[in-house]
Amino acid sequence: MIASLAWRNIWRQPTRTALSLIGMAFAAMLLVFMLSFQFGSYDSMKENMLRINDGFGQIQPPGYKADPEITKVIHDPDGLIRELESIPQITTASARANGFVLLANGERSFAAAVAGVDPAKENRITRIPSLIKQGRALRSGDSAAIVLGDALARNLRLKVGDQVTLLGSGMDGSVAADVLKVIGIFRTGVPEIDRQIAHMPLDRFRETFVMDGAVNEVAIIGRTLGDILKIEPRLRKIAARHDAVYLNWGELQPAIKQAIRLDMTTAALMYATLVIVVVFIILNTLYMSVLERTREFGVLLAVGMKPGQIGRMVWMEIIFLSLVGVGIGIALGMALAWYFGQVGITFEGMEQIFSQWGLPSRIYPRMTPFRVLAGPTAILVLIALAGVIPYRRVLGLEPVEAMNA
Amino acid sequence: MTDAIVSCRGVSKIFGSGELAVHALREVDLDILSGDFATLAGPSGSGKTTLLNMIGALDTPSSGHVVIDGQDLGSLSKAQLSDLRLNKVGFVFQAYNLIPVLSARENIEFVLELHGLERDERRQRATDILREVGLEGMEDRRPAQLSGGQQQRVAVARALVSRPRIVLADEPTANLDSKTTEELVRLMYRLNREMGTTFVIGTHDPRVMEHSKRHIELLDGRIASDERTG
Repeated sequence: MIASLAWRNIWRQPTRTALSLIGMAFAAMLLVFMLSFQFGSYDSMKENMLRINDGFGQIQPPGYKADPEITKVIHDPDGLIRELESIPQITTASARANGFVLLANGERSFAAAVAGVDPAKENRITRIPSLIKQGRALRSGDSAAIVLGDALARNLRLKVGDQVTLLGSGMDGSVAADVLKVIGIFRTGVPEIDRQIAHMPLDRFRETFVMDGAVNEVAIIGRTLGDILKIEPRLRKIAARHDAVYLNWGELQPAIKQAIRLDMTTAALMYATLVIVVVFIILNTLYMSVLERTREFGVLLAVGMKPGQIGRMVWMEIIFLSLVGVGIGIALGMALAWYFGQVGITFEGMEQIFSQWGLPSRIYPRMTPFRVLAGPTAILVLIALAGVIPYRRVLGLEPVEAMNA
Repeated sequence: MTDAIVSCRGVSKIFGSGELAVHALREVDLDILSGDFATLAGPSGSGKTTLLNMIGALDTPSSGHVVIDGQDLGSLSKAQLSDLRLNKVGFVFQAYNLIPVLSARENIEFVLELHGLERDERRQRATDILREVGLEGMEDRRPAQLSGGQQQRVAVARALVSRPRIVLADEPTANLDSKTTEELVRLMYRLNREMGTTFVIGTHDPRVMEHSKRHIELLDGRIASDERTG
């Protein structure tokens, strides 16, 4: 009956209760939507950036990321790939070799990072084959062929069908030189990639750079980045067995990881401010309601209710009110996130900036239990803790003084 | 029926301190006996309410001792005082003081829940006591849907339902018309006779005093007279 009394007490002042509920529901809705939107955009950012070139994870020789020398290699890529592809979460594993070269066209030459890739698999790992703007992507059977970023092609004044000279250093220290035909030009929208990256068939690369069947990295991809994150410990063990190391998305794209962390910090401050403001507004309302009922609490003390029981009743009122408010907010926030998860949100004029961070022009909020519950739970917990203030006031009441209030 | 339910010895109550100190009670000695139907009268400021608060364990004396059913109030904690009020004392207030969001029956059941009674027993006892005070059929009405007299009857029922040793009523008829006052006083008197419940009623109302079996007069915080009339 005390719970029932607490519930009915909430509705003594329906307008005030409704206003409190609207405040809480609005804050909770905003938190659910904003967290789903924010983390949804992080998901897009990570997956898009990783899908452009890196894959969701890579196995590399130790120290290769910091100092990518062609001599640091994985000697048995086929065995490693077989092992990796036996893991259900991994849809494709593809070997690559990388060289830093000079590409030349007549008198024009530019430094570039050329990757030798497996054409049959690469289109399942990176989006470069689908981002070809002129010509075509690499195919199995291609040999003296190269696809390159549009800025690099522009700098070298190359077009599809032209020939480009490649000059680099082979694994054995010899000069690696080749003449390749430009078969495709891609544009990812990420200036660094479009200005520096080129892909050529892996077999031709290994031949040119005298790699004797070795590669510099094995990139992997799964259905989602989350799937790959779950098997990270296993991947690290496999890498170690092949005298290599596993690099997760954050290690592959530290700039993105840092940008996300920075954005999260600023957003967390904003969310914390929102939560604290809402909690104080609600607490103020609840405290007023307690002050108004001091006389009634005096009567309850007189009829034999213990101060602690009255305090718990008041605390229960706070919890009930919060649960209803936050519940409504969660439902509204989920509805909003679901709707925009279907249609997406576009930011006019921001496409250029977004593309630099791998973000598509349309962003889709994505819900997970954490994104839906983190904000509302923070409101609930803080209100429950703040409920100690009215609770303590009730504990200090003396029946006669309270009845005369 | 001569055992004292409440015993006050040398009870003084001072509000404030220094020059602003108000002596509400001065060296009061009083025994309330089981079965008493006593009225406590006196002009405003004579200390009636303060004495009722002491007898009801709502307040503690500045000096002296109040013993209720063998328990000295001065030695009890807040929670123990609550238990004492719950188990031994019933209150009827001038302003009824029912819980507005609970129905008549729930107001009574609420006290029984504090006693830890099961739902069915609570409901049965609340229904019985409401019939006893003449409110059959009005069990589900909230206080706002009852007249002043009906609300005061609910308050009496609430005070009596847990079968306390003593019921204290402070100006219970002050807000009632004469007919309702008469009905209420007769009800309390009947309950005193039939159930043996001890009543101490603070009042100015001569219609209440008429039924009194013991009349205590207070003046300036002291007992001016204490007469048995019935």
